[in-house]
Amino acid sequence: MTYRSFLIYEFLVLWRRKQDVFNALLFFIIVVILFPLGVSAEPAFLAQAASGIIWCGVVLSILISIDHMFKEDYQDGSLEQWIVSGLSLPLLMLLKVMANWVVIILPLLIMMPLLSEMLFMPNTSFWALVLTLLVGTPGLFLIGVMGAALTVSVRQGTMLVMLLILPLYLPVLIFATSAVQAAQSGLPYSGFLAMLLALSLMSLVVSPFMTAMAIKASVSG
Amino acid sequence: MQSSASLTISDLWIERGGNDLCKGLSFSIHPGEAWRVLGGNGTGKTSLLKVIAGISMPLEGEIFYLGQNVTSDRSPLQQEMVYLGHLMGVKSALTVEENLRWYCPERSLEELHNVAKDLGLFPFLASLVKTLSAGQQRRVALARLWLSKKTLWLLDEPFASLDVEGGVMLEVCIQQHLTSGGLVLLSTHQSLSSIIPHDVVLQP
Repeated sequence: MTYRSFLIYEFLVLWRRKQDVFNALLFFIIVVILFPLGVSAEPAFLAQAASGIIWCGVVLSILISIDHMFKEDYQDGSLEQWIVSGLSLPLLMLLKVMANWVVIILPLLIMMPLLSEMLFMPNTSFWALVLTLLVGTPGLFLIGVMGAALTVSVRQGTMLVMLLILPLYLPVLIFATSAVQAAQSGLPYSGFLAMLLALSLMSLVVSPFMTAMAIKASVSG
Repeated sequence: MQSSASLTISDLWIERGGNDLCKGLSFSIHPGEAWRVLGGNGTGKTSLLKVIAGISMPLEGEIFYLGQNVTSDRSPLQQEMVYLGHLMGVKSALTVEENLRWYCPERSLEELHNVAKDLGLFPFLASLVKTLSAGQQRRVALARLWLSKKTLWLLDEPFASLDVEGGVMLEVCIQQHLTSGGLVLLSTHQSLSSIIPHDVVLQP
């Protein structure tokens, strides 16, 4: 096994299990569609709430997709093979996060113009939203993957993953929505973006190693 | 500790769930040798193989590979090792061919097809692994052994799910590997005294 073959076949496995990816995207779309119906469909209100609705949908979709990120690998013995492959386990974890990020977030970004139109989001804040998604979601994946690795051997660990991860998602959510709202008000939002970037970079440094340690602990029992 | 042996296990102490599985276990495997790990259920055969592979750590003891102490960092050993556990590490969402190419990308397509033919997998190369039987999935995992060209084979119950023909093929494969100077450590209840004269016996 090489890093290249690992990444290629990770994409291939995700493609073959596209139903899981599709479920996460569908969930996101349903959240965005149902919210205006349930609360208020008034354009001025939706424009104000759009960034919060979209970001909450993104966070929930990521939580859904992250929960079973390692389940199949644990059950079929792939995790053991990665550990004994002689390759760097933290780097393999990083590649796995990267593949999952591309597969989940890129379709979300592609759908974003349509969804932001649905929520009457002003053009001024649309690009701020895209930027926050690009900068903030890698952090969400990197944080989430640690929880998924910790609970991979736990049956019905979904609730546990959410309890572990959700508090760590709050700063990302707050900075991201604040950036979009600042852009909407015509204020500078680069400070919020810098904070999001800092959170993602901090996760990038810590997460692969923590995830690798959690995977080893889960597999060795 | 220096040794002429390729793999040396010295005073190994393994525990699982607070119970000692083996204490003070020592043995050496030389090039061209195969050792069988024997013992009843729950005596720690799988745990021993996992510890040597680097999946879990021993409480005490040392592991040497080519004279180098690899107890705290198994990377040098793992570069030369292939491990086949109870779980086969075969991706059910991929085809047989994709599984083999994923694991051994450096092997040519011709080599891959030849191994698939030897193992009776050639007609199933394009089939998704989840559509195969447990025995055929085990053959896919064994095909990786053939293709890996690694020196040390750690095999945990490799005959499980295999039919008679598959078992004979595996024995032939082990013999060929030993002839070429490879090392094999396997746990099995099968009698293989003709090719594996050495036993590590684990007591309950």
